[in-house]
Amino acid sequence: MNCSIEKNIIVENLNLYYGTKQALFNIDMEIPRNKVTALIGPSGCGKSTFLRSINRMNDLIPKCRIDGSITYCGENIYGQGMDVIDLRRKVGMVFQKPNPFPMSIFENVAYGLRCQGVKDKIELQKTVKKALVDAALYDEVKDRLKENALSLSGGQQQRLCIARAIALSPDVILMDEPTSALDPIATAKIEDLINELKKDYTIIIVTHNMQQALRISDFTAFFLMGELMEFDETSKIFSHPKHQKTEDYITGRFG
Amino acid sequence: MTYRAKFEQELEDLKLELIKMGDIVISNINDGLKSFLSMDITLAEMTIKKDKMVNDYEKTIEKKCLQIILKEQPVAKDLRLITSVLKMITDLERIGDHAADISKMTIFMQKSLKPYVIPHMKLMTEASQKMIKKALDSFVKQDLGLANAVINDDDEVDAYFEEIKGIVAEAIRHNEIDADYALYMMMVAKYLERISDHAVNIGEWVIFSVLGEHNHNVIF
Repeated sequence: MNCSIEKNIIVENLNLYYGTKQALFNIDMEIPRNKVTALIGPSGCGKSTFLRSINRMNDLIPKCRIDGSITYCGENIYGQGMDVIDLRRKVGMVFQKPNPFPMSIFENVAYGLRCQGVKDKIELQKTVKKALVDAALYDEVKDRLKENALSLSGGQQQRLCIARAIALSPDVILMDEPTSALDPIATAKIEDLINELKKDYTIIIVTHNMQQALRISDFTAFFLMGELMEFDETSKIFSHPKHQKTEDYITGRFG
Repeated sequence: MTYRAKFEQELEDLKLELIKMGDIVISNINDGLKSFLSMDITLAEMTIKKDKMVNDYEKTIEKKCLQIILKEQPVAKDLRLITSVLKMITDLERIGDHAADISKMTIFMQKSLKPYVIPHMKLMTEASQKMIKKALDSFVKQDLGLANAVINDDDEVDAYFEEIKGIVAEAIRHNEIDADYALYMMMVAKYLERISDHAVNIGEWVIFSVLGEHNHNVIF
């Protein structure tokens, strides 16, 4: 499922329902590859729901129903015959709260690889090291790889989760408010990391921090009450938004 | 419910302060010219003192703008508005300096000089004052039409300058004017001409605050 299409995620007429309640309305969006796309909007506007629908995390929620399509690398991810495990390997996710497994730092990153059937020790070590280096964590943990991951600080744990995601060499990384539980220094580190990672990955990030969206994203999507109000280059959204609602939100007039 | 009520109030206050600064500047131009035409040294000295108020306003407004940027992290039209205020106060401050410069001419002049009175000086002053008023008005109303009008009005002031220059040259040729007085008069006319240029600058910053373009260059 490697692909080189310029717009590698195409969302068409996406509707999502939790039981009888509709959470997303007719979303149309083309997410460019190797760019950072920020999803912004007030709480409950559907941005996290939308993010989770990109790697079918919503499948785990009972009574969640979807129509419309999300095409990733030319394939409808909600189509029959889609291998969800394979999809989630290519479309990784990092959550709001760091959630390392209660095992060693090394095993956290190696876990996904082992699940994939990688048994060769040298290959495991090589891949784990590369993922930790790429997640800008290696220098801080190289002497304590066998220690429990829960002994790391919050910011380190979050970078470990990013390392865990990129160890599987995904194509897309979804991030749901990855810095909202972190202090400013740890936040800055993650932001720098995102800037580095976009060379190799397509990143979609939910954030409540407008300045963060401005700093790290190339494109910004503004969601409101389940609708995609506006999607444009970040510089345009934060200088000349087309919709009054967008302007009101980014300037803090509501939300 | 209104959000960011304090922020909204701070933006309104900024506009108000700018208008107050503008009012002092306009009245100083008036008094400067009056002191020159009537050779009133006392009025000239008072006007120069009043320029300190203009400088104080510049500092106060500048501080407020920077504090708003720091605390409120403005974006989009809010950021443009605050940036344009920061630029406009520089122009207003310069205009204030020129009003003081005109008053200084009054003080430098010898009382013994014979004034050479022509209506153009007053008309030119009125035209430049109108430009400043219009520029500030266009800012408060965020009115592009008015802002563009200010830019066009500059031609009128420039035309006055050329006319005055012609009249003074003619008067020198016919020995109708003191050479010193002629020089002071031309200096005053030049200051007025510069004042209108600064009014044009203000108009251009108003256009920026509305469109994000300055002299047709997209900035933000």
